[in-house]
Amino acid sequence: MNGVTVELASSLAERQGPAPEPKDRLEEPVITAEEFSVFYGDNEAVKRVSLDVPPRRVTAIIGPSGCGKSTFLRAVNRMNDLIPGCRTEGLLALEGQDLNAPGVDVVTLRRVVGMVFQKPNPFPKSVFDNVAFGPRIHGVRGKPELTETVEVSLRRAGLWEEVADRLSHNAMALSGGQQQRLCIARALAVDPEILLMDEPASALDPRSTARIEDLIGELRADYTIVIVTHNMQQAARVSDLTAFLYEGRLVEFGPTDQLFTKPRQKQTEDYITGRFG
Amino acid sequence: MAGTSIPTEAGLLRRHLMLSRSASRLQRLGALAARGALLLVTCSSVFAVIFIFLFIFRDALPFFGLRGFAEVFTDTAWYPSAEPASFGALAIFFGSGIVTLGAVVVAVPLGVAAAVCLSDVLPFSVRQFAKPVIEMLAAIPSVAYGFFALVVLAPLLQEKGGVVLSVGACLAGAPLGLLAVVVLSDLLTSRLPDPSRPVVRLVLMGGLCAAGFYGLTQLVQLLLRLPIHSGTNALNVSVILGIMALPTVVSVSEDALHAVGRELREASYALGATRAETLVKVVIPAARSGILAAVVLGVMRAVGETMVVWMASGNAAQIPRPWFNVLEPIRTLTATIAGEMGEADHVTGSARYHVLFALALCLLLICFVCNLLGEWAVRRSKARLR
Amino acid sequence: MRLSTRKLLDRSFSGLGVFAILLMVGALLVLLAPIAARGSRAFVFRATVEHRQFMLEESGRGDHDAIDAEIRAAAEVRRKAYDMIARFEEELEAAGRSERRELRRSLREVKDHLAGLLGPAPGNARPVLLRDQYGQTRWDRALVGLGDFLYVTEYDYSDPSGMGRPLLVPRVDGFRGTSLEPLFAYVEQNLERMLRPRLTFYWRFLFDEGRDAHFFGGIWPAVLGTLYLTIGTMLIAAPVGIASAVYLAEFAGEGWLISLIRTCIGTLAGVPSIVFGLFGLAFFINTLGVSDSKSVLAGCLTLAVLVLPTVIRASEEAILAVPKTYKEASLSLGAGQGSTVLRVILPAALPGILTSVIISMGRAAGETAPIIFTAAVSLGRPLSLRQTLSQPTPALPWNIYNLCTEHEAVDQIRHVQYGMVLTLVLLVLLLNLAAILLRARLARRLAG
Ligand SMILES: Nc1ncnc2c1ncn2[C@@H]1O[C@H](COP(=O)(O)OP(=O)(O)O)[C@@H](O)[C@H]1O
Ligand SMILES: [Mg+2]
Repeated sequence: MNGVTVELASSLAERQGPAPEPKDRLEEPVITAEEFSVFYGDNEAVKRVSLDVPPRRVTAIIGPSGCGKSTFLRAVNRMNDLIPGCRTEGLLALEGQDLNAPGVDVVTLRRVVGMVFQKPNPFPKSVFDNVAFGPRIHGVRGKPELTETVEVSLRRAGLWEEVADRLSHNAMALSGGQQQRLCIARALAVDPEILLMDEPASALDPRSTARIEDLIGELRADYTIVIVTHNMQQAARVSDLTAFLYEGRLVEFGPTDQLFTKPRQKQTEDYITGRFG
Repeated sequence: MAGTSIPTEAGLLRRHLMLSRSASRLQRLGALAARGALLLVTCSSVFAVIFIFLFIFRDALPFFGLRGFAEVFTDTAWYPSAEPASFGALAIFFGSGIVTLGAVVVAVPLGVAAAVCLSDVLPFSVRQFAKPVIEMLAAIPSVAYGFFALVVLAPLLQEKGGVVLSVGACLAGAPLGLLAVVVLSDLLTSRLPDPSRPVVRLVLMGGLCAAGFYGLTQLVQLLLRLPIHSGTNALNVSVILGIMALPTVVSVSEDALHAVGRELREASYALGATRAETLVKVVIPAARSGILAAVVLGVMRAVGETMVVWMASGNAAQIPRPWFNVLEPIRTLTATIAGEMGEADHVTGSARYHVLFALALCLLLICFVCNLLGEWAVRRSKARLR
Repeated sequence: MRLSTRKLLDRSFSGLGVFAILLMVGALLVLLAPIAARGSRAFVFRATVEHRQFMLEESGRGDHDAIDAEIRAAAEVRRKAYDMIARFEEELEAAGRSERRELRRSLREVKDHLAGLLGPAPGNARPVLLRDQYGQTRWDRALVGLGDFLYVTEYDYSDPSGMGRPLLVPRVDGFRGTSLEPLFAYVEQNLERMLRPRLTFYWRFLFDEGRDAHFFGGIWPAVLGTLYLTIGTMLIAAPVGIASAVYLAEFAGEGWLISLIRTCIGTLAGVPSIVFGLFGLAFFINTLGVSDSKSVLAGCLTLAVLVLPTVIRASEEAILAVPKTYKEASLSLGAGQGSTVLRVILPAALPGILTSVIISMGRAAGETAPIIFTAAVSLGRPLSLRQTLSQPTPALPWNIYNLCTEHEAVDQIRHVQYGMVLTLVLLVLLLNLAAILLRARLARRLAG
C-alpha cells in the first residue's frame, strides 16, 4: 500500500456510524440506470451506464473532471432539460418509473429529487424566504406552517443555531459554508426523498467542508443521497457506495471500502492511487 | 413537512411521477396558453412596425398618384400652399443631407476618439466619471438642445460669428498644424545622411511653422470677414446635432473596440508598436464594422431629429449657394413635416396633406435602410471577431 | 520615423481622445450653465410691488395690509411723476398748434412706456388685457423697460451697403426746455422706490397656472401634462415591454419568428420620432378613434410605441444578467418555469428593469415631435384624470418650442422659457440620476 491508499484507509475509518452491513435481503433500488446515455449534440457524455442506487445510503460518484459525473447527476432530476441539444438514451428510472417517459411531470420529479449545487446559490432574498421558497411554490401559505417548515429544515441542515436571530437578513451576507447549508435546508424544505449533491464542498474551506460532510452523515438515515466529488478522501469519508466513472463509462461500482481497498479494475486502482486524473 | 418526511419502509416514493393524462393535457394547455399570450404581447412590436409602414404608405401613395414621382425629387420650388401649388422637395432633401453630413463630420472623429480613449487610454476611475457625462448628454431632451441652439447659439453666431469661428479654427488648427510640421519634417529628412539631418530638420521645422502660422492668420482674417446673415443656419444645427449624436457614436464604438479583445492588442505591443500605432493599425481596423455601425446609428439620430432643426435651421427651403455654404439657413424633412402638418391637417386628402406623408415615407425608408445596414455591420463584426 | 516622433504621435493621439472627452464635458456645461443660471431666475428673482399686488389681487396671496402699505408708499413716489405729466399737459394747451401735435405724439409714447413700467396711471380706465393692468413684476424686466423709457432707438443708414445701425437717442432731448424735462431724471433715480424690488423665491412658478399668455404666473398645466404623458406612457409601455423581454429572454428559441421580432424591435428603435407623430395621428386618432382629436391618451399610446424598444432591450439585458444559478436552484426545488420567472428571475432583475423603465420615462418626458399631432396644445388648463382620456394638454417640451418661436412677445417671457427648460431638464436628469444610483446599488448588491 502506498501513501495515498493509507490516507484513504484512514478516511474510511473516520466514517461516522457503522458501515452498512451487507444486507441479506435484496433492497429495492431507488434509482436504476440501464444502458443509460446522455448526449450533448453528438458528444456522448455519459455512455451506457448501468447501476442501482439503494435507498438511504450515500452513493458517491467519483472520476476525473469531464468524465460525466455532473451530467449523470443532473439527468436524475432532469436539469439537463435546460440545455439545448441535450438528449438521453436507455433507461433511467426512479422506483421503476422511467424518468424520461413522455408523461412525467418534472415539477413533481424535482420535488422528490432535491439538488445541491457546486457553488452555493441562495436567492438574493432573506434567509427565511430562501427556505420558504419551495413550500410557497408548492402552495403552502399559512405563516405558522411556513415558520415550522423553515425551522425544521434549518435544524436538519445544522444551521438553525447560527441564523435563528437573523432570519430576515439577506442570505447573501452569510458565509460560503453557511450559504451551502442554507441551500441544503432549502432543498430539504420541499420534502424530497433523494438528494443530489454536485461537489457540494468544493468551493468551501476545510472547516465548512467538514461541517457539510458531518451533515451528510446525519442525513443519510432519512434520505437517499447521491454525491458527486472529485475528492477521493471525501468519497471515502462520507459514502457507503462508490461509482467510478471514466470518460463517460462506469468502470466500477460497489461498496466504498471495497472499491478503495480492493478495486477490481486496473483503471480504478490507477485512479485511486493517483496514477492519472 | 420536513419533520414528517421520514420515508416509510414500504413504498419509498409516495408520489407518482406520472401525471394522469387529463392533468398532463391540462397542464400542457395552460403552459401553451400562457406562452401564446406572451408571444402575442411580444409580437406587438411587429404589429407596430407593420402598422407604421402601412399607415405612412397609405397616406403617402395618393400623393404620387396625384403628382407623380419626378417633381418631389428633382424640383426645388416648394410652395405647397400656393395656387398652383408646387412640391419640389429637392432643397429639403438637400437640407437634411447637409446637416446630417455636418453632424457626422462633428460626431464621428470626436466620438471614435473618445471611444478609443475610454476603452484604451483613460484609467478606470476617469472612465467612471465620463460615463455619466455621456449618459446625461444622451438624456437631455432634444427640445432643450433646440432651445439652446435658438436662444443662445444663434444670437452668438449672428453677432460674433466671425470671432467664434476663428477661435474654433485656432483651437483646432494650431495643435494639428504643429503636429503636421513635426511629422512632415521628420518624414522629409529621414533619407538624409546623418550629420546634416538635425540641422536640416530644424530649418525645415522653422519654415513649415512660419508657413502654417501665415496660413492660419489668413484663415482667421477670412473668417472674420465672413458675412453671417442669420444665426439660425446649417452650421448651428450641424454642431448641435453632432453633439447629440456623440453619445450614440461613443457607446457603440466603445463596445466595438472592447470586443476586439486583449490578445490582438498584446500581439501588437509585443512587436514594439506604440499605443497609437496599435490602435490605429490593429484595433480600429479590427473593430471597423462596429465603428461603421456607430456611424450609421449616429446618422440615423441626426436624420430623424426634429426639434433642433425645426427651431434653429432657419427653415428656408433653398439650396445654399455655393452648396457647401453652411452659414445659410436650410430646411429639413423632419422640420417640414412638423411645421406644415398643423396647417395641412384640415385639408386632409389634398396633395398638400399627402406630400407630408410622402416625405415621412422617404424619411422612414432612409432610417430603415440605415438600420439594416447598422444591424448587418454589427452582425459582421461579431462574426469576424469570433 | 524617429522614435521621438512616434512617441509624439502617440501622445497627440491620446490627447485627441482626452480632448474629445473634455469637449463633451464642456458641451454639457455650456449647455446646462445658461439653462441653470437663467432658468433659476424664473423661481428666484427680484419681484416688484406689482408682482405682490398681482398675487394679492389675482390669487389672494400675501399679507393684505403690508402690501397695501407698500402700494401706497410706491404711489406716493409715483405721484410726482404723474404730476409732472399733468403739468406738462396743461402747458401744452398753451402751446402753438403744430408744435402741440408733435409733442402730443411724443408724450403719448412717454405715457405708454411709463404705463408699461408702473401699470396704468391713476384715474385711467382699467385696461382690458391683464398684462396692461399691472406694471413690471420683475426688476430685470423693469430695467429693460426703463431703457426703453429713457432712450429712443433710431437707425443710422449712413452705410448704404450694410444694415442700419441702431442708435440710442435720449428721449429727454425731445422735451428740452419743457416742464417734462425733469421727469426722465426723476424716474431714472426713483424707479427703485416706485417698484420696490425685493428678492423673492417664487416656488409657486411650478404650481401656478400661466396667466395672459404666460406674462404672469407659472407653468403648472404643462408640468402636469408632462407628468400625465410620462406616467401614462410607462403604464402602457412597461407591462408590454417587460412581458416581451421575458418572452425573448426566457421562452424564445431561435426561429424565423423570433428573428423577425428582433428585427422589428430594431426597426422600431430607428423610426424617427416625427414619424411616430404622424403614425399616432393616422392610427390612434383617425383610425382607431381613441379620442376625437388630440388627447393625452393618444399621446401616451404614441409615446409608448416609441419607448417600447428601449424598454424591451434594456429589460431583456437585465433578465439575461440574472445568474443562471438562480434559475437552476428554483427549478431544482420543483418550481415550474412560470413561477421561476415570476418569483426568482423577475425580482432579481427588477433593479435593472426599473432602471430601463426610468430611463425610458426620461425619454418620454422629453420627446416633442410625437406629441405635436397627438397630444399637445399650447394653452390649456390643468386636466383632471378623467379628462386625460379625451382632452389635449400643454406639455413642457411642446410649450418650450411654442413659447420661444410662436409667442407674440418672445423676448418678454424669456424667464418663463428658461424656467420651463430648466424644469424639463431637471426632471429628465433626476430620472437618469435615479437610474444611475439604482444601477450602482444593484452592482454593489451583486458584488456583495
Ligand atoms: N452544457 C454542455 N454542453 C455541451 N457539452 C457539455 C455541457 N456540459 C458538459 N459537457 C461535456 O460533457 C462532458 C461531461 O461533463 P460534466 O458532466 O460536466 O463532467 P464532470 O462533472 O464529471 O466534470 C464533458 O466532456 C463536457 O465537455
Ligand atoms: Mg462537474
